[in-house]
Amino acid sequence: MAIQKQYYRRKKVCKFCVERIDSINYKDVKLLSQFVPERAKIMPRRISGVCSPHQRRLTDAIMKARNIALLPFATE
Amino acid sequence: MRNYEIMFIVNPNVAEDEIDKINTQIEGVVTAGGGTVAKVEKMGKRRLAYPVDKFRDGFYVLLTILATGDIIKETERRLRVMDPVIKYLTVRMDEDMRRQDKIKAHRAKRALRRSTNAGAAGRPAPEQSIEE
Repeated sequence: MAIQKQYYRRKKVCKFCVERIDSINYKDVKLLSQFVPERAKIMPRRISGVCSPHQRRLTDAIMKARNIALLPFATE
Repeated sequence: MRNYEIMFIVNPNVAEDEIDKINTQIEGVVTAGGGTVAKVEKMGKRRLAYPVDKFRDGFYVLLTILATGDIIKETERRLRVMDPVIKYLTVRMDEDMRRQDKIKAHRAKRALRRSTNAGAAGRPAPEQSIEE
């Protein structure tokens, strides 16, 4: 990404791996909305630091929550 | 027999007993087909994230069901024709539950192994908290 960094960016860890949260349920809006910023778009992995299997499950849960009107599709 | 979760949203302006009637109707459909309803949870009125059928709030109901695929098809068909129900979502939960059971069993086994190892070495066993 960058040319050469003098300082060390802190290592990003996957929140689900560290806290050992097993199931990412579409019903807990509080957990899911941490990964959904203002415009209601899903936060990419490189920003949130989630590992790929958890990101897949998180996306799945967010789509289900959007379908049942617990999370918005888009906010203005 | 698979585990399913059906969440549906009911028109917020209908009376509570209407919702109970809908619940019993759905339970009747499921048990008639041979399934079992494990849990009926009325999650109360919530504000919807976007307007559905011109409604801004809705009454959420969650059913946990043990059934086969055709029972679920019949239930969904019923939900679709019911007037007060404005949205529904069916989710298969059995694979998720199986995976969680496997993780818990794995963790319990590791905790057991660690405690016996520590006992043999004379060190106190570390606390293994099992997350849910």
